[in-house]
Amino acid sequence: MCRAHATVRGLVGELVSREEGDRDLVIDMEAGLEHLSRGTGRHVSTFLAVMEPYFRSMETARRAVTLARELDIGRVEVVANKVRDPEDREAIASFCASHDLPLLTAVPYDDSLIRSERHGSAPIDWDRDAPAVKAIRDLASSLTA
Amino acid sequence: MRIAIAGKGGSGKTTIAGTLARSLARSGRPVLAIDADSNPNLATVLGLDPERSREIVDLPRDLLEKRTGEDGVTRSVFAADPDEIVAEYAVDAPDGIRMLVMGTIHHSGAG
Repeated sequence: MCRAHATVRGLVGELVSREEGDRDLVIDMEAGLEHLSRGTGRHVSTFLAVMEPYFRSMETARRAVTLARELDIGRVEVVANKVRDPEDREAIASFCASHDLPLLTAVPYDDSLIRSERHGSAPIDWDRDAPAVKAIRDLASSLTA
Repeated sequence: MRIAIAGKGGSGKTTIAGTLARSLARSGRPVLAIDADSNPNLATVLGLDPERSREIVDLPRDLLEKRTGEDGVTRSVFAADPDEIVAEYAVDAPDGIRMLVMGTIHHSGAG
């Protein structure tokens, strides 16, 4: 492993563990799984594994959930993303059911995300009522409820 | 609440992390967003203007010190208080969010 990446992991773990707690932390984790087995996510209270409706993505999310559960994180859940149609929805639902994965919500596929990026705009500024943005706003409400 | 968002590259985890952070901030909660990806893109999703994005600096590597604990295990620990690190290195994003980019440390020294 590259030592620079090891330093990043050390920084994230240290920062999160020493955070006093009157503000929310939202961490966009490194892609992949290696950092999880090394405990980077250990001090978080909620772990969300993003899952697209195709096998390799679902399998990666499943392994992430397995590793996160070993870290004793309070809340470990799956967020489906880029869900286009009932077939996608069914693929996610049946994969989660057969692997005992808690599915928190499904964010729909949404062209407005591509348009917002093309215009250098945050999705929530581009169209706060776009279907995917709406789903993520609802996710935030449910997490804080 | 301390939320980690993980997933395969390209799964949309950054879009979800950034939009989630903005949604929490808009409901009045103070938010620190941390980009821990080695290919950092969170700034764009949060809606930092390019001017602000240029203010993002690499975290110096000497922020971490190696210390060996009583159990004989050597760990990396912060040489400074996390609040000072946030105050010094975080940049302002919309809705009052503070953002730290960890991934850029990758460029700050040989591996």
